[in-house]
Amino acid sequence: MSAWFEDLKEQFILNFIEGDRWKWLLDGLKMTLHIAFFAVILGIVIGVAVAVIRSSWDQNNHKMHGLSRAVMAVLNFISKVYLTVIRGTPVVVQLMIMYYVIFASSTNARMVATLAFGINSGAYVAEIFRSGIMSIDKGQFEAGRSLGFNYIQTMWYIIVPQALKNVLPALCNEFIALLKETSVAGYVTITDLTRAGDLIRGRTFSAFMPLIAVALIYLALVMALTWLVGKLERRLRTSDH
Amino acid sequence: MTTNNANNNVLIQVKDLTMDFGDVHVLKGISTEIKKGEVVVIVGASGSGKSTFLRTLNLLEEPTSGQILFEGVDITDKNVNINLHRQKMGTVFQQFNLFPHMTILKNMTIGPMKLLKKSQEEAEAEAMELLGRVGLADRANAYPSQLSGGQKQRVAIVRALAMHPDVMLFDEPTSALDPEMVGEVLEVMQNLAKEGMTMVVVTHEMGFAREVADRVMFIHDGIIAEENDPQSFFTNPQHPRLKEFLSKVL
Ligand SMILES: Nc1ncnc2c1ncn2[C@@H]1O[C@H](COP(=O)(O)OP(=O)(O)OP(=O)(O)O)[C@@H](O)[C@H]1O
Ligand SMILES: [Mg+2]
Repeated sequence: MSAWFEDLKEQFILNFIEGDRWKWLLDGLKMTLHIAFFAVILGIVIGVAVAVIRSSWDQNNHKMHGLSRAVMAVLNFISKVYLTVIRGTPVVVQLMIMYYVIFASSTNARMVATLAFGINSGAYVAEIFRSGIMSIDKGQFEAGRSLGFNYIQTMWYIIVPQALKNVLPALCNEFIALLKETSVAGYVTITDLTRAGDLIRGRTFSAFMPLIAVALIYLALVMALTWLVGKLERRLRTSDH
Repeated sequence: MTTNNANNNVLIQVKDLTMDFGDVHVLKGISTEIKKGEVVVIVGASGSGKSTFLRTLNLLEEPTSGQILFEGVDITDKNVNINLHRQKMGTVFQQFNLFPHMTILKNMTIGPMKLLKKSQEEAEAEAMELLGRVGLADRANAYPSQLSGGQKQRVAIVRALAMHPDVMLFDEPTSALDPEMVGEVLEVMQNLAKEGMTMVVVTHEMGFAREVADRVMFIHDGIIAEENDPQSFFTNPQHPRLKEFLSKVL
């Protein structure tokens, strides 16, 4: 028993204390959070824009005329291609194409990865958000237009806030998924949390400690986020105006 | 020929309005004038196109052909900024359509603040005054879900009034209400009529039509089949379908 404990302690010191290797994990965690955070923001911006384009086309294309119809038709087509390509290919392939092909001249891997994950997430956010917009009663839209708000104002002041509230739990789940997906960032030379654990393994030749530590950190993050989402959902339900 | 003087009294002029949904011809040529201060009540069977007609008046539905002149401007013209004209046309819906994510006060001030560029203080003061008039000043900070149907519809009416419209359009404002709440909403509408507001009201409340309307319009088969002052309309209907309709609803 005590021998086993001694061994564990030795392993711990070797993997985390020696050479301050715990700092590798900390830096990796910072990198993971940085990429996930900015990718989430980018994902929301892209997702909301694509969702508004897609749902306004679906609901109103028969009422559009002339130039605005042509512009919307093109935007809608681009959105559809975007959704199909992004959701139809693995994120790690998208990441590698972004880094090694599209931004081959860039040395800022962190920015390219943030872009890649944000663009990827945007496609999923768009579909979540579109269902949110579609779930809002069309009377809300008509009430906004009747007051004299134009299309964009009606979306911004009336439809989007309600849609956002309806899909907040689904959005949070998408962000949890995104956080875990950033673990492939190591493919493009980024030392994120996962890669940091792997580097320690390569240096110490012991796999158990660093990999379990990495897993536990992800688990703690996801559990904390899930707890927050649950709290949020309950808050939304009780204040269900 | 209308004289200049008569023209000045006309708020909305509808010329040969038609509306098709696919190959369903809902409106088949409606022409009428709505004068300033006039209360026009529209009745007709379910599916006859009453809502469609009302909704074309502020272009919520775009008519297939015909013209709508509002304050002398043809709002069916593609070059007209319809949003500016809609500010002058208050609309009240059967389903209230209050904004559920805003308080009553916010529901009432968002239009005046964002569109008429009023200050928050001014918009709120006006909103409180209007809410007071319909007996709901104490609910200003409630959310729509916390109000009864009758209260919601009264808020919907004053929300529209907060934009200082020149005409109010009502589409069956009491049809979604429990019977005991119909009266409170009709009373607000009646007061509005007394104050001289121009109103176009689709309703099944024949008592309201009889007492408040200046003119009652019967829509049947996509046209105005008959229109008259309430007295003649109800006591001396001509069109056989109107006779049949009245025998059912009275
Ligand atoms: N957006 C639409 N698309 C297709 N058909 C429609 C649409 N809106 C209305 N209609 C059809 O037009 C006809 C008239 O509808 P409208 O709602 O104007 O009738 P209404 O007189 O208001 O009836 P109700 O008393 O039931 O409210 C109906 O046959 C309806 O099915
Ligand atoms: Mg109707």
